[in-house]
Amino acid sequence: MNRIVRAMLGRLAGMALVLVIVATVVFVIVRVTPGDPAAVMLGSDATPQDIADLRSRMGLDAPLIVQYGQFMLGLLRGDLGQSIFLGQSVGQALLARAEPTFFLTLFSILIACAIALPVGVLSAVKRGTVFDQIVVTLTMIASSVPSFWLGLMLIQVFAVSMGLFPASGYGGPDSGFFERLQHLVLPAVALGVVNSALITRFTRAAMLDVLGDDYVRTARAKGATERRVVLKHALRNALVPIITVIGLSVAMLVAGAVVTETVFGLPGIGNLVVSAVLRRDYPVIQGTLLVVAAIYVLINFVVDMLYILVDPRVRL
Amino acid sequence: MTKTTFLAGCLAALAAQASMAQAADGILTVATIGEPPTLDAMQTPTDIVLTIDQHIFETLYTYDAQWKSVPLLAAGMPELSADGLTYRIPLRQGVTFHDGSAFDSADVVASLTRWMKVNSKGKQVSEVVDSLSADGPDAVVIKLKSRYAPLLATLSQASIILPSEKIADELTEFVGTGPYALKERRPDQYTQLVRFDGYVSPEGEPSNYAGKRQAIAKEIRFVPVPDANTRVEGLISGQFDFADSLPVSAYDRVEASDKAAPVIFQNQGWTSMNMNMKQGLLTSKELRQAVQLALNPSDMMLAAFSDDRFFSVDGSIFPEGFLWHTASGVTRYGEGDPEGAAKLLEQAGYDGTPLRILTSRQYEFHYKIGEVAKAYLEAAGFKVDLQVVDWATLTTRRADPAQWDIFITHSNFPGDPSTINTITDSYPGWYVSDQKAQAVSTYLASTSDDEKAKAWEGVQSVIYDDAPLFKVGNFNGLSGIAKGIPDYVPTYWPHFWNVTPKE
Repeated sequence: MNRIVRAMLGRLAGMALVLVIVATVVFVIVRVTPGDPAAVMLGSDATPQDIADLRSRMGLDAPLIVQYGQFMLGLLRGDLGQSIFLGQSVGQALLARAEPTFFLTLFSILIACAIALPVGVLSAVKRGTVFDQIVVTLTMIASSVPSFWLGLMLIQVFAVSMGLFPASGYGGPDSGFFERLQHLVLPAVALGVVNSALITRFTRAAMLDVLGDDYVRTARAKGATERRVVLKHALRNALVPIITVIGLSVAMLVAGAVVTETVFGLPGIGNLVVSAVLRRDYPVIQGTLLVVAAIYVLINFVVDMLYILVDPRVRL
Repeated sequence: MTKTTFLAGCLAALAAQASMAQAADGILTVATIGEPPTLDAMQTPTDIVLTIDQHIFETLYTYDAQWKSVPLLAAGMPELSADGLTYRIPLRQGVTFHDGSAFDSADVVASLTRWMKVNSKGKQVSEVVDSLSADGPDAVVIKLKSRYAPLLATLSQASIILPSEKIADELTEFVGTGPYALKERRPDQYTQLVRFDGYVSPEGEPSNYAGKRQAIAKEIRFVPVPDANTRVEGLISGQFDFADSLPVSAYDRVEASDKAAPVIFQNQGWTSMNMNMKQGLLTSKELRQAVQLALNPSDMMLAAFSDDRFFSVDGSIFPEGFLWHTASGVTRYGEGDPEGAAKLLEQAGYDGTPLRILTSRQYEFHYKIGEVAKAYLEAAGFKVDLQVVDWATLTTRRADPAQWDIFITHSNFPGDPSTINTITDSYPGWYVSDQKAQAVSTYLASTSDDEKAKAWEGVQSVIYDDAPLFKVGNFNGLSGIAKGIPDYVPTYWPHFWNVTPKE
């Protein structure tokens, strides 16, 4: 137990350092990127003087070091800043967009795992068969399909032609929870199918690695059923790389569903980042990227902890 | 009247009443190009803000179908003093704000004072305003230092009237007198407007933004859908009642749909290549004229808009149908003459310095215009550096005269020609010339429409001679409306009063 606690504390300290570095890098990148929130806010009619006046009112004309100091001090207080455009704090903006992103990620990864784990295991067990060849081919195709293209095709078929699901958005003011979730079906399928390809390939490869090992042969020699051999002896030992790729997929979904959220008009965190970048809403860009980085680091941390649970031989 | 006829009449009346009641409970869902950066139209008078805001807020005047300013919150046209310097504007009585407070001259004075402080056009107006004061509760008086022809046009757009007690540097409450009141705004999800039952409409036949306004739908929901293809799919799947700014390539799909119909708004705007007259290569008038001579606007517009249903090529800055349409001074505009331009380059002693053109793919037609322009300019002998950046970067770079020679942009046709950006000395391009100042001054001193039209001919001639920009062409806007909404009338900023939701 002490070993696990020590590992956790070490990892947490590393996470804090990573986040400080991320905050600094994001601050610098945002400021050196051309573009100005004041110019965006005032529109194309604005004169340079108008823009300069608004920059001054927003505090954007303060020296960079002062702005950086204010940003870091805010972070220490847990304050991510105030959005320039949204009329709310960055924390509030993130919270308002957490629900669609959370459920989109959850449904996508559930769909991906529901497809990938059984198909990957079966494909490895039936290595070299027609089924295996079909799986290898389909996963190659699925991993090459851009999720936005698949999304548009799904909209065309299931929203426009069949009218089964809404084409975009996340419901109106009077939409209940389940009505809102309906809006997530098509994007979750689009992301789930694309992500399932990678997880299937990893599952198949990991299973192939262990299926030829001595302990699997021993289990069979002891008379264990094939089902028990595959699911208890082989799959358990193949889980470490599979958990790694699932963890990475979850992290990528939180941070990387940007295109899918844009195509489906979902007001999630990915969409928030895109609109913030286009508007140069500095506090939102900084705060959102920092939170996404924190989630990314946290998921990696959880994955590391899962290694220990799954395989006691793992040393962190 | 027979019993059958009487019965049929009663049934028809009942059906009509039921239909009206249904419409009165209807909701209009409007897919917009994105989330408005704010609802403060004074601070940010962009199209998306003005589209939503016009339902909430009203101005003293507004534009009719001829883009003439006519009364909205004003009770009539202003009483103008003989010297053309004093405007007394009577105000409508009995109008209330969404919060129940009464509208009066104090609100107008407070609102216009803020407008002159924060709005770019308002700031220009403030330079000629000597005083702004209330004349009793139902009139305001504006005294000018010098005649200013576009005053009413500027009071027709973005100079929104709010209750005086809600005025602040940063607006936090969006309370107006319009037919719809703001109920909720969830950024990136929707802006929800609800019918204002206490609305008092101006009278008159509806004409563009003028005339009687009736809030028929119970609610209007503006939903930001930044992806144009998704707007198309949402429209033809029946999710949206109206989808704004559709790609022209979607026209046939929308037309073939059984749930929606395409709407073309003629002369939505014009595209231009604005030149840097302050620093760099194009400070030379010969070189600016060489740029104009080299370009072929037909090819540029065809590349940008694919189909001649969606554009027209016309050297007049304003299109046909506008009071300001004139061929006066139009030259170096037509087929594109790279050979003639090459001669001008030689005369100007062009040394091969790259011509830096800024364009953006955020507006795909800007990019396509840039690509065709590059080919023509290179044919004339220019060395061209086409820089493709996002719009936010472009707006920053164009503020620095050291960073560019031409930027590509588009504009709408304003209510008054003197409010065109290029005419402003400080607008990027920094078009400052004595003959322009004189021509604009003549225009500003005009009072009647005939005088203004004549003076505008002079301004356009000077613009063509000075060559601060190359007007590429006029473009039409494509949007889509759900079938079963018969009374939608296209306008530059789409509006949804007087629109009956589908059953």
